Amino acid sequence: MMNLTSPPGTVEMDDHALIACAQQGDRQAFTELVTRHQDSIVSLTYRMCGDFRLAEDAAQEAFVRVWQNLHSYKPQYAFRSWLYRIATNAALDSLRRDRPTTDLDSLSLADPGKTPEQVAEENLRIGHVRRAIAQLSEPLRMVLILREYQELSYQEIADVLYIPVGTVMSRLNSARTLLRQELLVLLEEA
Amino acid sequence: MNIHVSELLAAYHDGELPSNRQHQVEGHLQDCSTCRAELELYVELSSLLKADVVPYQTPPQRFAAQVQLRLPRTLPSRISQKEGKPPRWALGIPLVLILVWAFLQAAIKVTSLILTADQFFGVAIFNSWISTEGFLETSANLFLFNTLVLVGTTIFWSAWMALWLAWQKNQNVLSIKGGVT
Ligand SMILES: [Zn+2]
Repeated sequence: MMNLTSPPGTVEMDDHALIACAQQGDRQAFTELVTRHQDSIVSLTYRMCGDFRLAEDAAQEAFVRVWQNLHSYKPQYAFRSWLYRIATNAALDSLRRDRPTTDLDSLSLADPGKTPEQVAEENLRIGHVRRAIAQLSEPLRMVLILREYQELSYQEIADVLYIPVGTVMSRLNSARTLLRQELLVLLEEA
Repeated sequence: MNIHVSELLAAYHDGELPSNRQHQVEGHLQDCSTCRAELELYVELSSLLKADVVPYQTPPQRFAAQVQLRLPRTLPSRISQKEGKPPRWALGIPLVLILVWAFLQAAIKVTSLILTADQFFGVAIFNSWISTEGFLETSANLFLFNTLVLVGTTIFWSAWMALWLAWQKNQNVLSIKGGVT
């Protein structure tokens, strides 16, 4: 994996090389891995937990588990699937331990380019979407999040959740059908 | 091109179709407004979902530092929680070895008893079915085998204890850390 922002001539180490260093106890290499995957992991746990504080805590816990289990990681497995599986479990654990403190309606800060009316309207829409997703059963929600937000392939989702690809497809189908019914008004506006 | 491609649209939208199927769907979409409208629903749902962005990210350095703070001081031992745990059947191996050893002990006793009896009576009582030389040889072999089994048991037992202790230690480190977080 080449990093396009790195200066010309320097080739970024790929994940496997960083893991190999981290397996030898190189914390610098591990930190690089954390930084590289922070965005996607926090966004995954955030979608699952619906609470930013809980999501960051779960994401950090996921990276601690990655460190603790580095020796059991084998390069023939896709690192992303392995990482997502650990993060998914960490998020589910923290949800079971600790219910979200803020509700699903707590929304992002106003975008400076928008009028208060636009922001209010957008927040209403997003609130509606979040409630619809929250109403899905956990298996359906997981597949939907991994596909729509994390943009994993069917095979990757199957690897993360330990389910057959056919099950991924049928769950995704059910989740989308339910969401479409729930969000019909919003979809018709579009 | 009149057969609708509804059941392929989700996979098409997700970029999961093999290229021949993808061409098939694309060809059909050019002619069919029903399927185009159906595909549009997938696109709209995706963009509606993506309108909800993650509100805030902790700066990478801070996030990484927070993770570092939560890491155990040392790299965990190569024996993992699950893999390092000695399997239950491993407990049985020393037990079986001890039983074999006990059995051989008994066998040696019986053999020497028979030999003694044989010599005492001066008659080859058992010669009809086995020679004294054979008995002597068997006895020596049994003794050697018995010693080997005893040595094996000791080695296996020590190795097993070492493994178990290492695993216990690893468990303790993990449970202490688990208590803090
Ligand atoms: Zn059609």
